[in-house]
Amino acid sequence: MNVLVLLAIILFALMIWIGGKKGARSFLSLFLNFGVILVSVFFMMDPNADPIIITLIACTVISCINLFYINEVNSKTVTAFISTLITVTILLFFIYIVTKKAMIQGFGEEEMDEISVIFSLYPGLDFVKISAAVIIMSTIGAVTDIAISITSPMQEIFNQHPSIKKKELFTSGLSIGKDILGSNTNTLFFAFIGGYMALLIWYKDLSYSFGDIVNSKIFSAEMITIFCAGIGIALVIPIASLINAHYLIKIRDKKSDSKI
Amino acid sequence: MGIIIYKFKKKPLIYTFIFICFITSIIFVYHNYGFYERPIAKVIQTDLEDSTDITDIHDNNDRIFTQQIIAEIKNGEEKGQLIHLTNKYSLSRANDQPYQKGNEVFVSFEKNTIENPQLTGNITDVKRDKYIVIVAWIFIFTLLIVGKKQGLFASISLAVNILLLSYALDIYVRTDMNLLWICGIMVILFTIISLLLVNGFNEKTYTAIIATLLGTFSSLLITYFAIWIASENGLYYEEMQYLTRPYRLIFLAGLFIGSLGAVMDVAISLSSATFELYNKNNDISVKALKASGMEIGKDIMGTMTNILFFAYISGSIPMLILYLKNYSPLGFTLSINLSLELARALAGGIGIVLTIPIGLYTSIFFIKRKRENS
Repeated sequence: MNVLVLLAIILFALMIWIGGKKGARSFLSLFLNFGVILVSVFFMMDPNADPIIITLIACTVISCINLFYINEVNSKTVTAFISTLITVTILLFFIYIVTKKAMIQGFGEEEMDEISVIFSLYPGLDFVKISAAVIIMSTIGAVTDIAISITSPMQEIFNQHPSIKKKELFTSGLSIGKDILGSNTNTLFFAFIGGYMALLIWYKDLSYSFGDIVNSKIFSAEMITIFCAGIGIALVIPIASLINAHYLIKIRDKKSDSKI
Repeated sequence: MGIIIYKFKKKPLIYTFIFICFITSIIFVYHNYGFYERPIAKVIQTDLEDSTDITDIHDNNDRIFTQQIIAEIKNGEEKGQLIHLTNKYSLSRANDQPYQKGNEVFVSFEKNTIENPQLTGNITDVKRDKYIVIVAWIFIFTLLIVGKKQGLFASISLAVNILLLSYALDIYVRTDMNLLWICGIMVILFTIISLLLVNGFNEKTYTAIIATLLGTFSSLLITYFAIWIASENGLYYEEMQYLTRPYRLIFLAGLFIGSLGAVMDVAISLSSATFELYNKNNDISVKALKASGMEIGKDIMGTMTNILFFAYISGSIPMLILYLKNYSPLGFTLSINLSLELARALAGGIGIVLTIPIGLYTSIFFIKRKRENS
């Protein structure tokens, strides 16, 4: 039996056991997201298509899946969705500039040794944009998670104190965000480190000096990804708090207007 | 800016210290040529020599440019001299790039002959340290502005974890200790340090530490068991075969550490929520605690598994594109490039879901004990 199939079955069973119907939906969302990634890879292979625009579309679809499919369409998920898209767009431009400046696009020497023999490295695509797309895609899961983790308790607070001021609502959103900031940056940090353990050990084995490691393409790409992911996580907090506060207060004002 | 000035008035010492660190590190990375043994050159002039269109065997069109570069050596015996470099780059930039005035590169010298006394050489790599430092500072400042104290602690815990990891890998490479043992110890240290720094010294944190450790170790056991039962069918280690070490073990170690952050996140969410419920109502029944804990678990399960999924899978996108552009069969491309990543993502997911009941029952255990004592 295939290891991946077996692991998937175990995960599916556990998710159903804990989450019931919602667990099944969460499990299915993984498959849908995998599909989205594959489809975007196919689109990115077209030399005339812009990988940045493909990524923006892919991020829209992914946040739809993560927010509207796992949860449902309501004011919490809609504001989370809008905040996610705004954050991703801002972040994407920042990441594109960084990728271009630091020249971390494409593949590192360490990955190159074997494949450059069999493969043509001139596919006519823009790897700067593709690498920026990769960094955004690795962060999108965390950004949607934070957005929904902020908007949904804010709604609770609003329901319990309907006369709350906009500024208070905004600060309460910020303070929720602060509490989850640290653990989310840790989540991403460990995930990236876990994926690159082999490379780090290899660097140490070949006794790369500190300077060699820091300047090597794969390592700097990895560090920049971790930092950009962290920036994205921190950025979505004020954005989601602001948009949600604005939205909730606007709805309330409309309601009170119509009563008069 | 307003926030920074306001914060500065409140805690001048810490913020002055951070600001001094910022300034010195930026000055340092812009003037650290002397610390490198490899010669560094700064590009002062570039000329595009020619460009040729090429078509590879798969009919992919690209264009190759040749650049003549004059650069100034910044360190070593040749410091101050000019060096002539030739650079080839493609439109794709998969493994090459154009250089502009101001770029800093590592170079290697070629022997200069009598007919040609000019200093010539090749570009070996780009000097990237300053970009890492700049992005790191943007990261730290964003965290500080948004997260204030929590942001500061999050940055500190990240720095401590990086140092710890580097130290542990040094130990592994130098001595022949078993990697899984080292990782086991690291996981315990990582958990304690990160959770204490991010959430402070309190019973919620202690509960979360225990739940995290139980969760990660049991998910590792399950994954190990699954790999053993399926006798590694479907796992392709090609991606890691440049390693001179037992790559199976390294893969397991990466899997172990990779899910740690997510498991910690789930554990602390559950323990804070259940303790919050208990503190609001000391007489709350165990049944009610279980019900609301499970409800919270359901909510975070989906998004947490997705975070790990994207963090692992996205990194393979450029390689997938390269394989497919070279007309590799889809099934082969996916299994070679994604089998390990998918295994990591699934194992991490198992860890996350397992931690929900583990975290919940650990919290209930501590709440019960607290109730008996009071």
